[in-house]
Amino acid sequence: MTNHWIDIQYSDCVLIMGSNAASNHPISFKYVTKAIENGAKLISVDPRFTQTSSKADIYASLRSGTDIAFLGGMINYILENNLIQEKYVKYYTNASFLVNPDFKLPGENEGVFSGLKDATYDKSSWAFQTDLKGVVKKDMTLTDPNCVYQLLKKHYSRYNPDIVSRITGTPKDKLLEVYKEYAKTGAVGKAGTIMYAMGWTQHTVGVQNIRTMSIIQLLLGNMGVAGGGVNALRGESNVQGSTDHALLFHILPGYLKTPSASLPTLAVYNAKNTPTTVEPNSLNWWKNTPKYMASFLRAHYGVSATLEEAYGYLPKLDDGQNYSWLSLFDAMYKEKLTGFFSWGQNPACSGASSNKTRQAITKLDWMVNVNIFDNETGSFWKGPGMDPKKIKTEVFMLPCSASIEKEGSIINSGRWMQWRYKAVDSPGVAMPDGEIISELFYKVRELYEKEGGPLKEAITKMTWDYGPKGVDGTVRHLDVHYIAKEINGYFLEDKEINGTLYKKGSLVPSFAFLQDDGSTSSGNWLYCNSYTEKGNMAARRGKKDESGIGLYPEWAWSWPVNRRIIYNGASVDPETGRPWDTEHPVIIWNGSSWVGDVPDGVAAPGAGRPPFIMKPHGVGSIFGPGLADGPFPEHYEPLECPIEKNILSPQFVNPTIKRWDEEGTGTDVDARATCDPRFPIVCSTYRVSEHWQTGLMTRWCPWLAEMQPSMFVEIGTELAKNKGIKNGEIVTVKSVRGQVDAVAIVTERWKPFTIDGNTIHEIGIPWHYGWVTTKMREYVHGDKKPEVFTFGDSANIVTPFIGDANTMIPESKAFMVNVERKEG
Amino acid sequence: MKKGMIKVSDSFERIVHWCMAISCIILMISGLGMMFHSFNFIAIPVGGLKNLKLIHNFTGLVFIPSLLFAILIWWKEAGIFRFPEDLEWIKVAGGYLWHVDKVPETGKYNPGQKAFFWAVAFFGVVMIVTGLIMWFPLGFPVKLVRWMYTLHALGFFVIFSFFFVHLYLGTVGVPGSVSAILTGWVTRSWAEKQCPKWLKEMEESGKLEVSE
Amino acid sequence: MSEKIKLCDLSKCTGCRGCQLACKQWNQLPAKQTVNYGTYQNPPDLQPNTWNVIRFQEISENGAVDWLFRHDACMHCTDAACVKVCPSGALYHTKYGTVALDSAKCIGCKECVFACPFEVPRYDPETDKVIKCDMCYSRIDNAMQPACVKACPTGALRFGDKKEMLQIAYARAKELGGDASVYGDTFVDGTHMIYVLPRKAAVYDRLPEKPRVPFSVIAWKDWLKPLSLLAAGGVVGGAFLHYIIHGPKDTSGGGDQASREGGE
Ligand code: HEM
Ligand code: SF4
Ligand code: SF4
Ligand code: SF4
Repeated sequence: MTNHWIDIQYSDCVLIMGSNAASNHPISFKYVTKAIENGAKLISVDPRFTQTSSKADIYASLRSGTDIAFLGGMINYILENNLIQEKYVKYYTNASFLVNPDFKLPGENEGVFSGLKDATYDKSSWAFQTDLKGVVKKDMTLTDPNCVYQLLKKHYSRYNPDIVSRITGTPKDKLLEVYKEYAKTGAVGKAGTIMYAMGWTQHTVGVQNIRTMSIIQLLLGNMGVAGGGVNALRGESNVQGSTDHALLFHILPGYLKTPSASLPTLAVYNAKNTPTTVEPNSLNWWKNTPKYMASFLRAHYGVSATLEEAYGYLPKLDDGQNYSWLSLFDAMYKEKLTGFFSWGQNPACSGASSNKTRQAITKLDWMVNVNIFDNETGSFWKGPGMDPKKIKTEVFMLPCSASIEKEGSIINSGRWMQWRYKAVDSPGVAMPDGEIISELFYKVRELYEKEGGPLKEAITKMTWDYGPKGVDGTVRHLDVHYIAKEINGYFLEDKEINGTLYKKGSLVPSFAFLQDDGSTSSGNWLYCNSYTEKGNMAARRGKKDESGIGLYPEWAWSWPVNRRIIYNGASVDPETGRPWDTEHPVIIWNGSSWVGDVPDGVAAPGAGRPPFIMKPHGVGSIFGPGLADGPFPEHYEPLECPIEKNILSPQFVNPTIKRWDEEGTGTDVDARATCDPRFPIVCSTYRVSEHWQTGLMTRWCPWLAEMQPSMFVEIGTELAKNKGIKNGEIVTVKSVRGQVDAVAIVTERWKPFTIDGNTIHEIGIPWHYGWVTTKMREYVHGDKKPEVFTFGDSANIVTPFIGDANTMIPESKAFMVNVERKEG
Repeated sequence: MKKGMIKVSDSFERIVHWCMAISCIILMISGLGMMFHSFNFIAIPVGGLKNLKLIHNFTGLVFIPSLLFAILIWWKEAGIFRFPEDLEWIKVAGGYLWHVDKVPETGKYNPGQKAFFWAVAFFGVVMIVTGLIMWFPLGFPVKLVRWMYTLHALGFFVIFSFFFVHLYLGTVGVPGSVSAILTGWVTRSWAEKQCPKWLKEMEESGKLEVSE
Repeated sequence: MSEKIKLCDLSKCTGCRGCQLACKQWNQLPAKQTVNYGTYQNPPDLQPNTWNVIRFQEISENGAVDWLFRHDACMHCTDAACVKVCPSGALYHTKYGTVALDSAKCIGCKECVFACPFEVPRYDPETDKVIKCDMCYSRIDNAMQPACVKACPTGALRFGDKKEMLQIAYARAKELGGDASVYGDTFVDGTHMIYVLPRKAAVYDRLPEKPRVPFSVIAWKDWLKPLSLLAAGGVVGGAFLHYIIHGPKDTSGGGDQASREGGE
């Protein structure tokens, strides 16, 4: 979230799309409800009429996987009716930037942008025009045909309501109703917010879905203001934290890029990954990359290695290789991996195309399952269709502590780092994950020291100061405060900065003090300021709020530097410094400094500094050449879809996705069935309030299982009638990859779509179930039996093995199935 | 035994009567204890209302066959009104309330007793049906069950009041009656006054049992 | 002690069932095996182990669909049929106007089950007792909100002084306009759970439109009860009068010894 939960209440229009927040983020509705009470309009856009829709002023349905068409239509509406917040767009976005005249839009280039070759773009034609000094050429009148604004207008002129309606199946009047209402937030002083979740991300065009909305937010001046922003509702309590701390393969903590084999030295790495700009007023914050990288290396290896040596120890990506989930499981399936730590997850149910995932695990030599409960992954060899006698994989179960059994921090969607305390002891031999890792580390280090190995220093030289040490020099008991402090960072030598002396060993006050010379450490520069000499900021519980907009700056701590609304520099007029919204100002210039939230990027009013300092040019990217699949979002059909061609262009699906379904790229488990009469129904997956993720934690909880005991499938009344399916009976949902049984919930809440004149049905299934907690399975001595059994297996058995072009997140929100009454 | 006593009831009849009477009394007392919070104290000696309820319910099980046998036994003699003599009797209220020179002669039971029989028979059945449903109400329609309580209370209202009439007339109100249901033998004069017609009929048919 | 009200504003309820779960947690009500029978609603109804249940209901009018969620639990009536019929005094009014239940006193007679106009109390064969929401008496008597209210994220459930809650309810119904109304303030002398209903009461599944203490209960408790005592008293009194005024019937006379003795 660029903003935070409490802030939603200051919105004038809340758009919830790609999310059923009322059900899956119930607490968010505390603030949505407040917003409504304050007069805000709530818009729900969803293929299915949900709990969220039931509270909305406007509900519009759309076929899964057509969000870009829907939102592209909104951009078109905004531009056609000139509803943009003009000054904001001119000063705070790259709308005025001139693009290379060679650049071609999909509308004039067979549905793809210029530069496509072998499923990747050569982006040279996407560059901005610059003058001799390298400064980007601009047209502040926004009339130059090569300026971003005009290109945007041209690109989305194709997304007129008629076309959009044909693609999305949304009635035209509903489209216009939504557009009209949301575009009202373009007025100065009005704020609209978007709450989205996996309904947007889990598509082959996931990132571009969010990009489309980001463009809208920039056009309407909704970024950086109270009640605005682009707000990802995180699906796990700490997924924001784990992403910040390098959950993904291509980033190091703090969104530093992972080194790759072609960047052999730190110097080369810095040169490649430190953006530069000659824009006169731009702060270009990432110019600090070398400081953050140096501090990160120091956090890993201390002063026992030089920075260059330390960089040398870091693992490197092979160029062009992708190490995301799908790729890893594909490699596992193809027997290229021998061992696997399944840590706090349940791939046998959570991974797309579960049958492939489950098969992949059988090909391992060993697997370590670290979890709080038995699950479908740890017990995969007992699962349906498995013959334990034929499986070689050795499985180790390491029971670990649940969140309430250990101390530490979690970071919520609003970027708050909140400290939590241990409430109860872990049961039995269960240990906190950190302790398990620590023991593992010492063992691995011992082996490396004894036996050697390639790049053994990567392990042997690593610092491990995570608690008081015993006589043998190892940590007896992990102390999470040591870790939190390392993440913040220390001065490693006495250092004088701006006339103040910072002693060696003291905590760095904030990332502005981090150095590139190795004199500071910081495990994650974004968190530098979270644990300082003043104490553990995340543990603060101050309830003071002078902002009047619910910032509560003394409650916990928010990255970066306790800023609650990022990009807030854009919440004021560039010339006068007056807040756009004088009722809910985020920052106010008091004559000498900004008060309110921690200001983001702004200099004194009228100084001309563009506020989006994380961008080299300092402005918001309406034109975003950084992504793999285009500088503007373009509608492509999901990999599996019910129509034969893309109504908008000759290019059917996202041209830059990695394919496993084509000749020579995958195996039979990666099959795809688009426009296949055997699988005529669109399907989507989702969650319910009562369960969490694969249900691993919730299915074992009797009260939750009691409320949602069963895999179900929601089927529209009309489709059910066609299929002779009655409410409450058991049916089978089949895709080309597998099938799963479910109880039919026949509902009026799911209406068929009219797509280009054809009636298309969509159904939906929750993905919380798995065979481990069912009644039918065999329970042998020692197996824990749930108090309340659940019914059904994972929805991912039917989802496709395909990912987004940028992130590789699987497309589990739009694929094709059939549903039939269960035979026999 | 004294000579000349007349037999009005056999031992089976007396057992049935007392089963019914005692169970009915227990039912009334226990019912009373449940009906009014101010009578909840009735439950104290039996260890609480729960027990009182159980006593009530199981006594009900004794009451059911007693009532059924009672109806079978007294159906003929007390269940059927005979005209015109019963009407005549009613007109003068059997001579119970004001002085009547000549009370119309009645059979074994006078219409007052017949009315009591009817009250007990009818409302006894009502009590049984409603009581059983109240005991095991789950599964019956809500509206039906609701009225069961009301009818049970109505039955109680009727039986409770008739009970006192019966008690008074069976003891001090009509001296000599108790023995009819204790030993089965009454004096000839009692019989002449209470059931003259029956006496005549029995004598004529020679069925009358008289103690020697 | 002032009367308290649990206000349930259905226009704000999202059907998240936080309330349903919180009730179970606070009151330690065990889960039971359920099956999905074609709806989100589960357990299907109020049960001995389920004192509040969210009723999920779909309605469809002129092509537009809506999904209604209703937090169903004891209404805590002022003129409470359940209290009226309870023979043991297990059900009673608290100082907050709510209807609590002293389980130790309950004799499992089920009279309340059938008297309640909202069909709330549930009989538990395992304990042979009836059980229902007691408005978290253990909490409210310690200045805490009921568990369900505490858990409700949206503010659909609120708890407070009767006057204030009623004011909020009326204001909210007015704000919502249309068919919106306040439910519970006018009948059975006012309930202590009241709804703000965005739609007409008749629309909601299992919500009586004009609930009242059943007539049978009134006939039974208000009429027949006093009447039976009166009648019995009357009869006893009448008998006594009869004895002293009219005297007992003369059954003596006749010639035989027994008759004579009997009559003396
Ligand atoms: C002469 C016959 C009976 C009399 C006078 C009698 C009287 C009563 C009275 C006064 C009550 C309390 C009602 C109230 O609370 O208003 C009662 C309740 C009840 N009676 Fe009876 N009753 C009789 C027969 C029966 C029979 C045959 C049964 C069934 C076996 C029965 C079962 C019940 C039950 C189940 C209750 C409900 C009270 C409870 O369960 O706590 N009764 N009765
Ligand atoms: S709703 Fe029913 S159980 Fe609750 S107080 Fe009213 S009558 Fe009693
Ligand atoms: S008030 Fe308490 S007992 Fe009643 S429904 Fe709410 S949580 Fe349950
Ligand atoms: S907790 Fe509140 S919002 Fe959730 S179901 Fe209950 S009343 Fe509705």
